This record gives sequence, C-alpha cells and structure tokens, in this order.
Amino acid sequence: MSNYYYNVFLIMLGEFEYLLITAAAGLGENAYGAAIREEIEATTDRRCSMGALYTTIDRLEAKGLLKTWMGEATPQRGGRAKRMVRVTSKGVHAAKEFYDAVMRVSHGASWAGHRAGNSS
Amino acid sequence: MTGIGWPLVDLASRLLDRDEREAVVGDLLEANETTWQALLNVFGLVLRRQALLWKQLSPWLAAFGVALPSSYLLTYVSLSVSCTYQRLVYHRFAPCWPTGHEGFLLLLCHIILLIAWSWAGGLVVGALSRRTLWVSAAFCVFPCVFCLAAFPLEFLPKLCPFLFLLPAILGVRHRLRNPRISLNSAFLLAVTTTALMIFAWSNDALWILNWALIWPVWYLVATARKSGQEGNTESWRMGHPTYTRMSGR
Repeated sequence: MSNYYYNVFLIMLGEFEYLLITAAAGLGENAYGAAIREEIEATTDRRCSMGALYTTIDRLEAKGLLKTWMGEATPQRGGRAKRMVRVTSKGVHAAKEFYDAVMRVSHGASWAGHRAGNSS
Repeated sequence: MTGIGWPLVDLASRLLDRDEREAVVGDLLEANETTWQALLNVFGLVLRRQALLWKQLSPWLAAFGVALPSSYLLTYVSLSVSCTYQRLVYHRFAPCWPTGHEGFLLLLCHIILLIAWSWAGGLVVGALSRRTLWVSAAFCVFPCVFCLAAFPLEFLPKLCPFLFLLPAILGVRHRLRNPRISLNSAFLLAVTTTALMIFAWSNDALWILNWALIWPVWYLVATARKSGQEGNTESWRMGHPTYTRMSGR
C-alpha cells in the first residue's frame, strides 16, 4: 500500500469534522469561519459554537485536511480579517471515505429508505 | 452587538492569539450576536484552547515538575538569605529563623545560587509551556503566601519570601524573547552553579533537597545542545502557528 493511501485510510473523521469539511467544500472560495458556521447551523438546525468551530478547524489543519490563511477585512466585520479555509485533496478523500462508510453501514437500516433515487 | 457590551467582548477576546482574535471577533460582528452570546463564544473558545493544552505533558511538567517544587525550595532559600543578611549586617537573630553559621562568602554564594536557580527555573518553565504560564505563576506564588502565613517574620520585610520571583520572571522573559540559549552560556551557567553548590555543600550550608534545583540548569545544557544540532529547522517550527498550537508551547 502506498504512503498516500496509508495516510488517507488512517484518518477517520468525526461527525462534526465531516460537517465542517462538507460545508467548507460547498462554500468554495467563500469558505471562512462565519460562513461555515452559518452553513452548519442552517443545515443541521443546531447551534455551532466558535469554540467547536475553530478548534476543529485547527485539528483538521494539523491533519492536513484543511488549509487556512488570513483573508481580507470588510466593513461588515468592523474592519477585521477573515480566516479563510480551503479543503485539501486529502480532506476531500477523507470526507468521501466517511460518506462511503456511513452509506455502507446504513445499508438496510429502516431509516435509510429515503435515499437519492429511491422514491419509496 | 450593543455599544455597551462591545468593550467586554473586546476585552475577553484578548485572551486569544492576535490572528484568532481578529477572525473570531469579526465573525461575531458579522453574525450580529448579542453581547451575552458573543461572550459565551469567546470564553468557550478560550476554555477549549486551555483544555487542549493540558492534554500535552509539558504544561503538567512545567507546573508540577518545576514551578511548584522549585518555588517551595526557593521560598525557603529566599528566606534563608534574608535572615543571614539580617544576622550579618544588622546583627538581628531569632531562634526560628532559617540561618546558620554562614559568613559573607557563603551569603554571596547563596545569593548567586538563588539567582541562577530561579533564572534557570523560569527559563525552563517558559520553554516547557508558554501558554500555561499563568498556572505555573500561580503555583510559584502559592508557597510564598503559605510561608507568609505560617512563619513569624518580624524584622523581615514582607517581600523576603518573594526574592526568587524577580530572577524567575527575568528567566521567563528571556525565554519568550530568545527561544535559544547558546551551548557555551548554558554550560558555563551549569558548571558555575554546580561548583557553587559543591562549595556550599562542603561547608555544610546546603540543604540536601536543594540538589533538586540543579536539574533545570542542566536541562538548559541538554536543550541548548539539541537545538544546536537541529539548527534552523527547529526555530522555524517553533514559530509556526500550527506547531505552536498543537505542541501546546
């Protein structure tokens, strides 16, 4: 097994890590703290604290699944810079692994009937 | 966010790193959070950051391996030096004072040792865990306060048990400003300190437990040697934000 696959398969995301990566990937170039938080809250209908958000971003960045940098400042933010986020290719693979694992383990579960392409 | 609550949030956010403060406060403003929610978010992040640091070994080592035991011993040495000074200069003496037969030479030796031990201890605490310094500082002050409460210190200035704090603070400050100490300086400090300790010990003027204070001095030699071998790689890593966050330094 090559080092690349070894690294990818070793990383199993947590639920919130997966949500964060998915939200950041969906936002693309506009992914930063407040936007990711808003996306997660809107999708899950749950509160997302800054503590959970930023410590998870740091953890994912340390694992090489995200890359962050300080972006531009806007008047809407009181002239403060954004912490921009980009999902790395390793992050994309880890998220896909997590998604596939969830789909596989959910196969046959009673609540997994309403899947895409399944009208019943 | 209201104008009244804003200074509170701004103040609380100072517990965060500069870049993180910038991003978090900007996010809170953009989300138009209430003051209460903003404060909860900021304190929540600060608590999580501190909790993460304590998952590493180094903050525990700094607080319980260096700060607490060293400050206990150094408080006693500070007191002993003050009492010896009072006896030699002002001819004041009380039976309960921790002073013995020392003359001016041994007093000078003790003063130099007190400075060297405290400075090296502060430097090691700063090196082990910069971000949990406030806990280590609290552990340093605790034995001093206990000493003030437990011992009768008539004729002695109330600051006597705190004598070691100034060199210790200077040691921490030095570490924060200069991540490296040269091998030659560290070695010179270690050899001088050891020689003075042997001198004091041979004159029956050193408590056996004070030998424990020698390890931060030699730790500096070991780390100076290691950083010299690692060269520029380590200094780059230590300045990197992710390394700093993950290593808890």
